[in-house]
Amino acid sequence: MKPAPFAYVRAETLDQVFDLLDEYGDEAKILAGGQSLMATLNMRLSTPEVLIDINHLEGLSDISSDGDVLRIGALARHSDVLESEHVQKHAPLIAKTMPHVAHQAIRNRGTFGGSVAFADPAAELPAVTRALGAIFVLQGRDGQRKVAADDFFQGLFETDLKENELLVGAEIPAIKDGERTAFMELARRHGDYAIVGLAVQGRLEGDTFADMRLGFFGAGDQPILAKSAIAALNGQPNNEGTIKNAQDALDADLDPMPDLNGPAEMKMHLARVLTKRALAELAA
Amino acid sequence: MSETTNKWIGQNTIRPDGAPKVTGSAAFAADTNMPGMIWGSVLRSPHAHARIKSIDTSKAEAHPGVKAVVTAADIVDFPVDTPFPLGIQDMRWMCRNVMAREKALFHGHPVAAVAATSEAIAAEACKLIEVDYEVLPHAIEIDDALAPDAPILHDFIEFEGKPSNIAGTLEHTKGDIEAGFAEADVIIERDFTTRPVHQGYIEPHACLVSVAADGKATIWSSSQGQFMVRAMTGLLTGIPQSDIRAIPAEIGGGFGGKTIVYLEPLATILSKKSGRPVKMVMTREEVMRASGPTSGSKSTIKIGAKKDGTITAAEGIYWLQAGGLPGSPIRGAVGCALAPYDIPNGRTFGYDVVSNRSKVAAYRAPGAPIGAFGIECVLDEIAEELGMDPLDLRLKNAAKEGTQAVHGPTYPLMGYVESLEAAKAHDHYKAPLGPNQGRGVASGFWFNAGGESSAQVNITEDGNVVVTTGHPDIGGSRAGIANICAELLGIDYRRVSVLIGDTATIGFSNLTGGSRVLFASSIVVTESTNNVIGTLCALAAKIWDIDPEAVIWEDGEARPAGANAGQFPPLTLEELAARANESGGPIGAGAQINTTGAEGGFGTHICDVEVDPELGTVQVLRYTVLQDVGRAVHPSYVEGQMQGGAVQAIGWALNEEYIYNKNGHVDNPGFLDYRMPVASDMPMIDTHIIEIPNPKHPQGVRGVGEVPLVPGLAAVRNAIHDAVGVRFNDLPMSPPVVLDALDMAEAAE
Repeated sequence: MKPAPFAYVRAETLDQVFDLLDEYGDEAKILAGGQSLMATLNMRLSTPEVLIDINHLEGLSDISSDGDVLRIGALARHSDVLESEHVQKHAPLIAKTMPHVAHQAIRNRGTFGGSVAFADPAAELPAVTRALGAIFVLQGRDGQRKVAADDFFQGLFETDLKENELLVGAEIPAIKDGERTAFMELARRHGDYAIVGLAVQGRLEGDTFADMRLGFFGAGDQPILAKSAIAALNGQPNNEGTIKNAQDALDADLDPMPDLNGPAEMKMHLARVLTKRALAELAA
Repeated sequence: MSETTNKWIGQNTIRPDGAPKVTGSAAFAADTNMPGMIWGSVLRSPHAHARIKSIDTSKAEAHPGVKAVVTAADIVDFPVDTPFPLGIQDMRWMCRNVMAREKALFHGHPVAAVAATSEAIAAEACKLIEVDYEVLPHAIEIDDALAPDAPILHDFIEFEGKPSNIAGTLEHTKGDIEAGFAEADVIIERDFTTRPVHQGYIEPHACLVSVAADGKATIWSSSQGQFMVRAMTGLLTGIPQSDIRAIPAEIGGGFGGKTIVYLEPLATILSKKSGRPVKMVMTREEVMRASGPTSGSKSTIKIGAKKDGTITAAEGIYWLQAGGLPGSPIRGAVGCALAPYDIPNGRTFGYDVVSNRSKVAAYRAPGAPIGAFGIECVLDEIAEELGMDPLDLRLKNAAKEGTQAVHGPTYPLMGYVESLEAAKAHDHYKAPLGPNQGRGVASGFWFNAGGESSAQVNITEDGNVVVTTGHPDIGGSRAGIANICAELLGIDYRRVSVLIGDTATIGFSNLTGGSRVLFASSIVVTESTNNVIGTLCALAAKIWDIDPEAVIWEDGEARPAGANAGQFPPLTLEELAARANESGGPIGAGAQINTTGAEGGFGTHICDVEVDPELGTVQVLRYTVLQDVGRAVHPSYVEGQMQGGAVQAIGWALNEEYIYNKNGHVDNPGFLDYRMPVASDMPMIDTHIIEIPNPKHPQGVRGVGEVPLVPGLAAVRNAIHDAVGVRFNDLPMSPPVVLDALDMAEAAE
């Protein structure tokens, strides 16, 4: 299919973006890489009056680090994030995840901020930002505010972004000594949206789990931080009983939706299997 | 011409369609445009089953920009009580498939079509057509259609004296089946199902049709047969074939699915009515909803064998879905099922079952993979029961030269046994397997086909060659023909251009199907080329003033046959072409033959899988296709055919299926949700080419392209059984199905 008619504006300044957002409200859509937006337009799931192309805004695609915090500009392309030495060094979980995000051609266009702001519950990056405890920088006409990933995602494609705000970047705590990562995803084909998956970061102190964060995607109406499973892990030894408790705890955390890939119960089963495997990878 | 002296036959010459396809210059049907062209759009039934009480097109016709509207009233009717076969189709069903007549028989069935000055206006105008439907209960699955209270699709179809959805049957028998089972030490009987799967060609159906003021129609379209397009369009529109010129576009995949027409007759009538060229292009969704998949099936297979593995009797009963109109490929299922084996007592029986799905179309060895699936699964179980190697069991019962098949023919020289022996000797068959890994084997047969072909071989004035044939190239026929013609003429293959003529420029050629094209077209090209060589020798004889019999053709030049013929410097093709007028004039020859002697093809597959018992996923680790191809005229094309068939089999076995909702609509009409295999799913498919030349063909050619889809479903299934000990008798073996089955197996322990 082809999209419904829309107007297109290539924004040159942030002020211009805010002018347009003020004028059109929810009839405006921000165009970054177009990874998901173009598909939803073509399928007419979305019929905005105007597309505001922010690709030409200066300074939104930088990736930098001060040692404690990794900063990823909203317009940084997935392929640039994947190849960034800052990301590989300070956020190996993101580096581990990126090859699973679509395909190379799409990663060349798709942006980190676009993926986060679109907030697809089946996409990898929103869940990864929850596992990493990321903080998002939201720009309004009158300044910035920062929102933790844990508060940012609010429902199916719903975020804390106001109509006249733009996601301009993410601040990600750099990985600390002793922290480990794991990533698991089950998709029908490599590059497809996940049926279910998770990103994990945390520590093993000796044999004991600590500071665990498990972010799930494809497991509910939004990216999910599996709080019950985390509680079942932290302070507990890495053994079959603990893993089993964490798997069982997922019942309280996850609420997958049935779809063409299978019923909800099957997805819960798959989530438990992937959790066990991710924790094994983390410990390996 | 022999294997050892061939220069071009057997070489991987550069394929003539390669550069145009990779650079994007190849012209597919949707690439064709004309001045003044308008667009056609199809209104499709929103119901799975409904009587059409009336259609009012007046609002659409009055809509600005609309130039013509077509309904079933414009299409020639073929009365249901008078069979009118055309190839494997029947015009009674074709006329009702291109446009619903009395009833809409599936969701997506065309009901009307509009041509307008833009695609958007045509689509908009379709919505203005008022159709009064009487919605009827629908039947999607075979069991729904066979139920005692099933909605009957066609009141003119009766079976055993009662209205029925069984539209036809076909039976093959040999020997005494009861006596055969009585002799058996072990008998295994199982039920199987397979799902309808789409051919999955990348290029959607498309055409451009221009009916000029003089009433002559020109059709540019993507099909597997321009003559089929001409014939069907002529019959459905009432235009004589002599007034229709069907021009074949480069084709973006067909796999059998483009052996029938959907859009061409509609566009022709729209063009005739509007006086404008009309272009029509299906969307992927239309392709998935309303173009032919192959049949879904159910079957009951029973095989008996002695302790030493000798099969004493075998029986296969098959029910195949036809879609909304009769015509499932029961012939392929019941004919090919037992064909690889020497079976003293055999019976196969097929039912053609209509239900409210899109009408099936041919798909690579139509029906044969369905026929082979259950048979090859039961043989695997018999081998296990008898403690025999599954290849040994097949070798014990393999059909050979002189075997009389259950479906009738007595086999000539052919290489089935060789495919089994090559499989047994292959590294793959001996390689170790890890945990949750398994290996399966299976064999398969396809009839192959000959039939009508035409060719014209012309020598250009500068001494090069243009060969024109009459079939769209979907499997490498142009490259193969170039190799053969160059071999015969003793010249570089690059000097031979092979073109596909349209219906006005080449004689009748049956469609591309049945693995017939290289077999049949190389017969007519060989005859034409040999006649050209005769002309060239005669010309040289005249120039030298010697007897034509005293001239031979060697290495691209005419030479005196021996010392007695005289001493003359050879005359090359270029020299002779330049002097053509010294004898008969332009040099060229054509041939038109109804070819025979195609003979069947056999293959054996070995498949290794790894099953993830917790996720239900199946990864194909290694796959080897072993097949008697007669003569590999262009080996990399042959290899590509073997690989492509195997991949389609793997998709059919593991994932592909239509998901219908309760309203009888397909819920996954696109490649996002219809799960076809992609490159990242597949290992390299290894091939082992066996060449036992077909004695009935000048180059030994045997059809190649369809056999490799036949064994694959069972090879994958037998491998999964070997890996996890569960026998899956229903396809696809998708992750949720595998998970459920493993859970049940675990619970039973």
